Parts: sequence; C-alpha cells; structure tokens
Amino acid sequence: MTIGRWGRALLVTLFAVVLSAVPATAQVKVRFQTWHWNENPWVKALEEFQKGFNAASPGIQVVRDDSRYADKEAVFITQSQAKAAADIAHFSYRAVRHLADRGFLMDLSPFVEKEGGEKYLAQWDQSALEMCKYKGKLYCLPDDLNPLVLMYNTVHFKEAGLDPAKPPATWAEFLDYAKKLTRDTDGDGKIDRWGVGIIGARQEGLFMRFNPWFWGAGGEYLAPDGKRSALDTPEAIEGFRWYVELFTKHKVVPAGAIEQGAQEVRTQLAHGKVSMIITLPAALGIVEAINPKLNAREVLALAPVPTGKKKVTSAWFSMRVISAYTKNPDAAWRVYKAWHEGDTQMRNFKIAGVLSTRLDVMNAPEVKNDKFARVFAAQTPYVKWEPLIAEWPRIGDAMIIAVQEALSGVKPPEQALKDAHGATNRALGL
Amino acid sequence: MPARRPRGEGAIAAMFVLPATVMLAVVLVFPALVTLKLSVSLEGQGVSGALTLAHYRRAVADPVLGQTFRNTFAFVGLSLLGHFLLGLGLALALNQALPGRALFRLVALIPWTIPDVIAGIIFRWMLNPVHGSVNAALQAIVPGFPSDFSWLSSPTLAFPSVIFANVWRGYPLVMVMLLAGLMAIPRELYEAAAVDGAGRVQRFLHVTLPGLRVIILVALALDMVWEFRRFALVLTMTGGGPGTLTEVLSTLVYKSYFQFFTFEYASAIAILMSVVLLLLSLPYIVLVGRAER
Repeated sequence: MTIGRWGRALLVTLFAVVLSAVPATAQVKVRFQTWHWNENPWVKALEEFQKGFNAASPGIQVVRDDSRYADKEAVFITQSQAKAAADIAHFSYRAVRHLADRGFLMDLSPFVEKEGGEKYLAQWDQSALEMCKYKGKLYCLPDDLNPLVLMYNTVHFKEAGLDPAKPPATWAEFLDYAKKLTRDTDGDGKIDRWGVGIIGARQEGLFMRFNPWFWGAGGEYLAPDGKRSALDTPEAIEGFRWYVELFTKHKVVPAGAIEQGAQEVRTQLAHGKVSMIITLPAALGIVEAINPKLNAREVLALAPVPTGKKKVTSAWFSMRVISAYTKNPDAAWRVYKAWHEGDTQMRNFKIAGVLSTRLDVMNAPEVKNDKFARVFAAQTPYVKWEPLIAEWPRIGDAMIIAVQEALSGVKPPEQALKDAHGATNRALGL
Repeated sequence: MPARRPRGEGAIAAMFVLPATVMLAVVLVFPALVTLKLSVSLEGQGVSGALTLAHYRRAVADPVLGQTFRNTFAFVGLSLLGHFLLGLGLALALNQALPGRALFRLVALIPWTIPDVIAGIIFRWMLNPVHGSVNAALQAIVPGFPSDFSWLSSPTLAFPSVIFANVWRGYPLVMVMLLAGLMAIPRELYEAAAVDGAGRVQRFLHVTLPGLRVIILVALALDMVWEFRRFALVLTMTGGGPGTLTEVLSTLVYKSYFQFFTFEYASAIAILMSVVLLLLSLPYIVLVGRAER
C-alpha cells in the first residue's frame, strides 16, 4: 500500500503539531534523590524547593527521585554501577568517603572555583566544611548538622513528680529519672510506660544514640594511633554496659529493644510509651506528624545528653553529593547550589527543624532564639565523630552485633564487647 | 534408514532460540563473569583491578562467614523439612474429594502470593513484643503467658521464628508440585493395593511415596536453591540479628557489598555460595539427565 498525496500531507501536519507542542527550550531534568521525599514534614520543604527552583529556572527541572533510608547506599551504588545514578543524592557523612573511593562522586572544586573559591566557601562553618574534603577534593558542601540531645515529655515528668525545668544532667540522675518514669499508668499491674527508648536495631542510627554514652564513659573505638581496637579498656566496657543495662538490668526500656529503630523509638515517644529519648532536631517535626494530638512543641522539651566522665554527643551530618555520572553537571550544580543557599537552608530549618551549617543561617535570630534550636546548637562544640577510616563500616557492624548480643542475652556484655574488639582488630588487619 | 532433516532446519531452530540465549547471557552469564572477576580483584580497584586470591583466603579465615554458612544450612534444611511436611500433608488433604476443594486449594496458595518483604514485615509486626497480635492471642489461650515476650530478640526463638515465617511463606510451591504428582498416580494402584489388603499407611508407603519419588526430589531440589538465596524475609524480620544468629549468606553478601563497601569480598562470598549451591544441586541435575535419557 502506498501513502497517497493526502496521506503524506496528513503525516507532515501531524509531525508539525507534535513539534510545536515541544517547548522551545528542551528542559534538562535533574534527579534529586533523598528518602525525605517520603517523610513528613520534610516533603513539604522539598516540594517548596522543587516548585520554586523549577519556576525560577525554566530550562532545568528538579525531578523527585525516591530512595529509602535503609538502602540509600545500595540504590546509589547499583545505579552508579550502571552509570545511571541520580544527579544529586543524599547520605550521611559516613558513606561519602567510601563512595568517593569508588569514583561515584563528582569533585565540586571546579564549580566552587567559578563561584569564588575560598570566598564562596567562607559562607559555611569551616569545621563542617573540612569533613566534605577528602584526598584533596571537595565532594560536597556541608548541609545540615544536627547534634543529638535528650528529648523528654514534660507531662510525664510532672506525673512522676519530677520537675520538667530540671532535666537529668548526670548519668545517675538520668537513671533515677528513668526508673521513676517507668510506671503502670492504668493500674492493671503491668508497666505500660517506660523511662527511655533506645535503639538496638541494625541501623546506623544506633551509633548516634549509643555513642554519647559510650564516649561519655571515656570509651573509644580505636587506640590513639588509630591502628588497633580500644574496645578492651575499662572505660569502653563501662560505657557499653551502661547502654545495655538500661534494658537488661534496670528495665527502663520497653521490650524488644533490638527490634527498635529510630522511627520506632520516635513513635514510642509520640504515643507516650516512653518519656525520654536521645534524638536530633528533625525528630520534633516527625513526632508531631506521627501524633498531632501530643502537641509536641508544648509537651516536649530538650536538654543536653547527661554527662558521664566526659561531656560529649554525636551528630547527624547530612551530605548531598553530585554523581560522577551525571549527564548534566552544570544543571546539577545549579540545583545543588540553590539547595545550599541561605533561603533554602532557612526554609529547611523552619519546616524540618534541621540546623544548617551556613553561618548566616546558624546566626540568624530565628534560629538563635528558637527554644529548641538553641539547645541543639549549644551542643555543637561537644560533637564527636566515629573514626573516619575505610574500615569503619565493619567496625561499626561489629559494635552493632555486640550491642544486639548483649541486649538479647546471647552473650554477657563483657564477652560481646571482647568479640567486637577481636573483630575490630581483624578489620584493621591485625 | 532414518529420515534426513531438511537442510537449514537446524539454523532456523537456532534462530528461534537465539533471543532467549542472548537474554540469558546478558542477564545471567555476564553478571556472573563480572562477579567472578571482582572476586579476584584487589580491593577498591573494581573489575579492572589486579588479580588476587586474598578475598578467598579471608573468607576461609572469617569466623562470621563460617557461622553464616552454618546458619544458612540450618535455615535451608529446616525450611525444606517444613515445606515438605506441610506441603505433603496439605497436598494429601487437598487430593481428597472434599466439598469446596477448589476454594481450599486457592486459599492454600495465598502465602506464596505475598512478596518476601511484605511477609517479613507482617511477621515482624505480629511478633512485636509490645503491640504484636501473637502475644495477645497467646495470652488469651495460655494463662500466665508474658505480654511482652520478645520472639525476634530471643537467642533461642529468633531463628525458629524466621524459619516459621519462611515455612508459612514457601510451602505452597512444594504443595502444588506434590499435588500434581498425587493426581498423576493411577487410582488403580490404590485399588489393587486395597484388594491385596494394604491399609492406609501401607498404601501411603508403598504406592504414594514411590509414585511421588521423582516429584519430591525435583520439588526439594528447586526449593533448596530458592531457600539458599532467601534474602528479603530475613532482612526485614531480623536483619540477621540478634547479633549474627539469623544471618544468612544472602544478607551477608548484601551487607558486605552495600554497607561495608567491600565489593570484592562480597563477590567472593557470592561465588563460594554459588559453588556450594551447584554441588548441592548435583543430584537434581543427574536425575534430570537420567530422566531425559
């Protein structure tokens, strides 16, 4: 069958109609990957950023790309192996060096040079910025850095005869408060509210809640030379036992500790099952979203993590990166730069409660005068990091295993930590 | 003298098979070769790295890997036993002329339709010590049963809990295969055995089981391969914990690759896993080969 004259004319007309429907400037799509797309209240901040950027930059479109917190590295690694990773991805500080070592991340130095180099970088807290540098390259701009603090329910405190204006400041006080807060509230003879929620599940969130106690006792993962394990010191066992015995001995933690992850513990706090947790700034909005009836911003209060031998805490440090395989590096940089600008970072604080490492946002009156933010910010000088070495994931896993073994009674705490000590030394090649 | 094949028939047959062969090569053979190369590459250097057997030497000396192999064998063995016993029992029941048999057969398949990860999450919720339905149900039945019993935190019950979930999830496949085998056994054999005075147990032992022999071997062989690779159920229920009590090879490979960033060592474990699986599958391969001859 041949296409007649009218058929050819119809085809040309259809072709012209289709062409005219295509925008004059083809849009570049930048995939913006984070698990926060699935979280309240973060999703609001992301959607506002996306809407604002897309409206202001007609040639570039920020596209939502979902990952899950639990497998964010697996998703990005798999995509990178196929050279099809999201243009911009989101991790904690722990993963970035490993991803950089595999060649999955773009060095941002050339872009930063065009923006003004050191003058551009002076906008950020310099200690946070140093964590973004690795082997002479810059793999990210620092995003939000959130020290962990004690979050507690003031209503529970009052019910237990405790003064909400005097939160526990020492370990002894913390344990005393936890015992008083562990109660049978409905008179059926069974405990239905516990003093503390702790994480025992196999996730990186465990370290952020465990480490303040571990380090607070004077414990360290590695010897000062960084070449062997320090998990066999009396301080290490003291800190380890303190955390584990909250559950096994003092019973101020709900059953099934090793099944509880960060979200489960926040849910426990939101529903009044526990009275105190160690957590980060974004938890306030998350707890509020889980249970709006709690009236979280009125009922919950913050305090520094109780001090042991040392005043120390841990922190969540967000790092967003640009994939080495992005097909649109300039567009990706424009989106990336916009995300790290002051107005976006301030919006993230207002909606999600996270603390920016931009100096202008950190020092803004809205942040400094916020009753919650100022408690978090005051802990920044006490933040300590795990050893930033290639072997850390295996060392961290050994510690998770030890915590789980001790919490579940598979091994006594001393044996569990001793095995972690051996595993750490093996990871270090000893 | 046998008839000769028309010329070109072999080439045409090869052409029809070619697309599937290419797809198999791309989806199976290529990744397997890449994994093999990774497993003998220096750590951190990826596929193009220099050759080394260091990862295999490390695997042999790794106590965690040894424990994980033992866990995996136990997991596979007990799951297979559970699948076989439950699958055979239900297949025998569903082979009877019962009213509503078709509906029962359909309902019995439901666990198999649920994805691993969903099944893992469901069981995790059910077994939750504070809010789970299992504790609530047991409290109603067993006086004095603790309301906060921790199944998945228990050193003795975490592993059986995962196996229970896996048996529930996977028995329908074995059941369906055995049911098909039962339906293929001629009724006359049972009638003849009954005439000879064989009771129910004797008929089962001397008619049913021999009739199902090949199907049982095939079903268990295939099930073994699948259970050896079980991943999402274990990951969602326990993550391999408490400690390493429920760690299986698939979760260890995942952890080594994506959490430890040791692509090369993870690949070595995966290759070892494949070799062991191949050896365990040899009876099935021999059986199929004999059947074809």
